Amino acid sequence: MRKIVTTLFLLACAVAVAPAARAQSLLFDYVGFDYESPNPNPGTFGELGSGYVGLGTVPNLFGPLVTNVVANEYTYVMSGMTPTGIVPVGPFLIINYTPGTIEIYEDSRSLGTAADYGVSPPNAQAPSSFTDGTQVLVGSLTSFQFVVDTANGTGSFEAVFNVTGGSQLANFPLNQRAGWTFAGSSGNALNIPAGYAHQIDGQTFLDEPVTTHRTTWGRVKAGAR
Amino acid sequence: MTPRALATTAKGTTIMKRWTTLAMCAAMLLVSAPQSHAAAGPVIDWDPAYMWQPGGAFNNLPAGGIQRMVGTVSGFGAPLAFLNANIPAREYTFVADSMVSLGTVTFGPPSTQIYQTDYTGGVIRLYEDVSPDAVFAAFPPNPQVPSTFEDGGAPLLVGYFTRYTVTTNNFTAFQTGSIEGDINWVGGTLLPYFQTIGGAVCPGLFTGGATWNTAPNVGIPGYLFRHDGKIDLQCPTPTSTSTWGRLKQIYR
Repeated sequence: MRKIVTTLFLLACAVAVAPAARAQSLLFDYVGFDYESPNPNPGTFGELGSGYVGLGTVPNLFGPLVTNVVANEYTYVMSGMTPTGIVPVGPFLIINYTPGTIEIYEDSRSLGTAADYGVSPPNAQAPSSFTDGTQVLVGSLTSFQFVVDTANGTGSFEAVFNVTGGSQLANFPLNQRAGWTFAGSSGNALNIPAGYAHQIDGQTFLDEPVTTHRTTWGRVKAGAR
Repeated sequence: MTPRALATTAKGTTIMKRWTTLAMCAAMLLVSAPQSHAAAGPVIDWDPAYMWQPGGAFNNLPAGGIQRMVGTVSGFGAPLAFLNANIPAREYTFVADSMVSLGTVTFGPPSTQIYQTDYTGGVIRLYEDVSPDAVFAAFPPNPQVPSTFEDGGAPLLVGYFTRYTVTTNNFTAFQTGSIEGDINWVGGTLLPYFQTIGGAVCPGLFTGGATWNTAPNVGIPGYLFRHDGKIDLQCPTPTSTSTWGRLKQIYR
């Protein structure tokens, strides 16, 4: 009997942690550009010793974030990641990074400062015009991995995302703070400001909370009989 | 000193030539330097688009296979910023089809393989519909897909892909890659907005991340990829004709 209960318990645990078919919900969508700072070798992207910085606007945000995109401009800054390893594969590089963060700021369109990329970042406008206003969300980014075609900058990145702070942290139930982010990159765009590496378009998902319900040992046993 | 250099040592000639060289260099810089304008946002942004290709898999899109996509627009930027994608009474959708695979090329060892598939052909059309009904129904084509994405009348824009590339891999934890292409716009009621002063039409750059993650609310059965992307206009840097006289005036 104990074996059956133990088996059931382990099975329940396995179902709870299995990531494969977990439902997701879109949290926000972002568009911007990236650059490296520090940038020990300006001719190379993802070199050891460099720091990855992405910044841009967040045109679409969803619950549990509470937002007003008409009155406010939402911006993001991704930073803190530095390469730990680079694997060349054909014309591509697989670049793995140390953990970093993504922050989202809310700034009044009428009273705040409009986001401005400027050129050759960091500069007087960037990232400062992306970090003014209220910091509504902070998330950690781990397992950040960039795959990029060295010929044209076309590629993608992804990371594990966890909500860790910001003025709206309380909107996120404890069992709904984990998720992931991914984005496409391109070096082919003609609108990339001087000094930036790629154009970025990405989105971040939250894992749906794991549903639980109360039961009794009697019911568990009954189900196994 | 070379004979050519010696020939320029007479004082007047040297100054004149220096002026000319300086002006020429300045003109070249003016023509080729990137404009210091604020970075333009995407002209069309979507979230999401979904692609399907009968017989295809994320790691093998066989030659001859035809990829199609449908998508819903989430935002517009200049020169289409007058369109509002977020009013409930209206929806903006797009459909692309006829992208023919040239076969998948695999790079790397078994543990870190990257798959790149180039396509030829392909046409994309943007629609406006005053009776929103687009639905990403599973297993396309079906009664809703692509029909609910291409109703609403004449397309606002029509363009041909001149490049379309799908890049995937077998090692990313969340199954992510990219899909990118170039578009030559050829028609639609809004085509004039993409024309430069000289009349040339700015091409489009189709970019974004793609995922073949099948988690609920990310993937949809019957589709190969979810794409989060946008289109940017690739307008040439503006130039204007001038005379040497005008150019010299600038530096006096």
